[in-house]
Amino acid sequence: MNFATGDALYIAPILILALAGLLLVLAEAFYTGKDRTALAGLAVAGGVAAAVASIALYRHLDPGQHRYLYGEMLVADRTGYALSALLSVVIALAALVAPAHMRAHDWAIGEYFGILLLAGTGMLMLAHASHLATVFLGVETMSIGVYVMTALRRRSRRGNEAAMKYFLMGAFATGFLLYGMALVYGATGTTSLVAVRERLASGNLALLTVGTFLMVAAFAFKVAAVPFHMWAPDAYEGAPTPVTAFMAAAVKVAAVAAMIRVFGQFLGGEKLPYGTLGWASPMVVLAAITITVGNIAAIRQDNVKRMLAYSSISHGGVLLVGLCAMGLGSPSGQSALVYYLIAYALTTMGAFAVVSYVGSKQNERLGIDDWAGLASKHPAAALAMTVCLLSLGGMPPTGGFFAKWYVFKSAMDAQDQQLLWVTIIGVVNSAVSIFYYLKLVTAMYFKDATGEFTPSRSAGLTFTMALCAVVVLAMGLFPTTWLGFGG
Amino acid sequence: MPNLSTVFSEVGYAHFLVLGAVLFAIGVGGVLLRRNALIIMMSIELMLNAGNLTILTFARMHGDLGGHSFAMIVMAVAAAEVAVGLAIVVAIFRGRRHVDVDRMNLLKH
Repeated sequence: MNFATGDALYIAPILILALAGLLLVLAEAFYTGKDRTALAGLAVAGGVAAAVASIALYRHLDPGQHRYLYGEMLVADRTGYALSALLSVVIALAALVAPAHMRAHDWAIGEYFGILLLAGTGMLMLAHASHLATVFLGVETMSIGVYVMTALRRRSRRGNEAAMKYFLMGAFATGFLLYGMALVYGATGTTSLVAVRERLASGNLALLTVGTFLMVAAFAFKVAAVPFHMWAPDAYEGAPTPVTAFMAAAVKVAAVAAMIRVFGQFLGGEKLPYGTLGWASPMVVLAAITITVGNIAAIRQDNVKRMLAYSSISHGGVLLVGLCAMGLGSPSGQSALVYYLIAYALTTMGAFAVVSYVGSKQNERLGIDDWAGLASKHPAAALAMTVCLLSLGGMPPTGGFFAKWYVFKSAMDAQDQQLLWVTIIGVVNSAVSIFYYLKLVTAMYFKDATGEFTPSRSAGLTFTMALCAVVVLAMGLFPTTWLGFGG
Repeated sequence: MPNLSTVFSEVGYAHFLVLGAVLFAIGVGGVLLRRNALIIMMSIELMLNAGNLTILTFARMHGDLGGHSFAMIVMAVAAAEVAVGLAIVVAIFRGRRHVDVDRMNLLKH
């Protein structure tokens, strides 16, 4: 294995995040000032620098061009850099919203920022992974970081419990992932996914099928697909809100990015006998149950964070539909998925930023009733939340509408009977989901305030809410521009 | 009575693969059946080691060094994961004096 000298340039975003993350961990240890939220500045700078590097590399590559790095460990292509840029932006926003929440709820823990960036390193690796080892390493770097972030508030019993549940389920999934990889490796005799793709036809079919199924189950845990979703609502509710935002937005994007690589690009394609017979059929079923169960459970919630958690589970189901479409050879599947991920991540980030904003000192105001009358007191925050909720519900003219439109359209393009059914289920569920999103909107606009709002203000929060709302609207108004980023 | 060297020469790849599969099954069973967080973590470690054993066996079968290096990465990652997991278990134990996952029900709808 010999490495081309230019390879390090192509992983610049990953290196920037890793370096900034290590610096932050050191800075935390040697920091003598009182206000540890000051470290947020460096974290935001790291995230923005990684985003800029990703965009520069995106422009440097031609559409459709790809380059394997470090002996097929990673692949550099436009899709990867689009997702890297998205993830870096989400990381920067997660650092930006944290200080206000930390001050309001007394958990100014400097490690948050360092671990945020190190977990982000794993996520960027997943966006570029083309080797079983980098997929495993990426998943674990991301997950271990997020377990720590969930558990950061050590004295919070709910936080501990959330972390414990998340950790046990996540580590259990890792076991499946590794054993699945072992079987795929056994069938093909190579750990490089590029070589796995070439040897699929000649590999042992039984080992390949069982191995792929185990990997589907493992990734289903990571994207919180039903029936592997039980950890998600608890972890989302128990974690501090900025961590929840990061988990809901970035972890899901990174997990789906890894699935795009593993299943869509390397184990997919309609020519493979088990590409159509193997993982796609169970994934279609997973998608259908995930969309439905996520929605039905969301209707019953009266806690905003839990409601958004179930909504995010349901969105995971739609993403699985896109993955099936891609695996079954739909030409538009990949760009639709990337569009969906951009819309979903920014919408979720915006929604949780508002949740974080509404919470006052020592009182998080998470019940839907606590949001009554927000529009009359804080119209801008209510408007940002409304835009995000409409986008989550898939209403025009927001990014969420076109995201669902493109994914379901790509599912239709695949010309497959099973995808037709799951699309119908998905569309019906989108209509149902409007109900619980509008429940919150109604509370904000048409009910009288029960108590005084004392929101945790900060410039970072305001910026995040505004940015997310504006981008989500821009995605809805100029959808084709954004669709092009999928490469 | 057969001497030691013939006994070992009869142990082939299949034995290691079956051992790996059995260990994995025991690990999954442990996670699903036991309620003590520490035992669950031990079961998860069993699953990871089963995966590693299988990877190493296949690496020998295929004569491929990639599998060996992958197994090294997995061991490092598993150690990091256990460190975080134990820290979470300790934090839980300090607050509640038990690590029974069935009694962790503050977060319920």
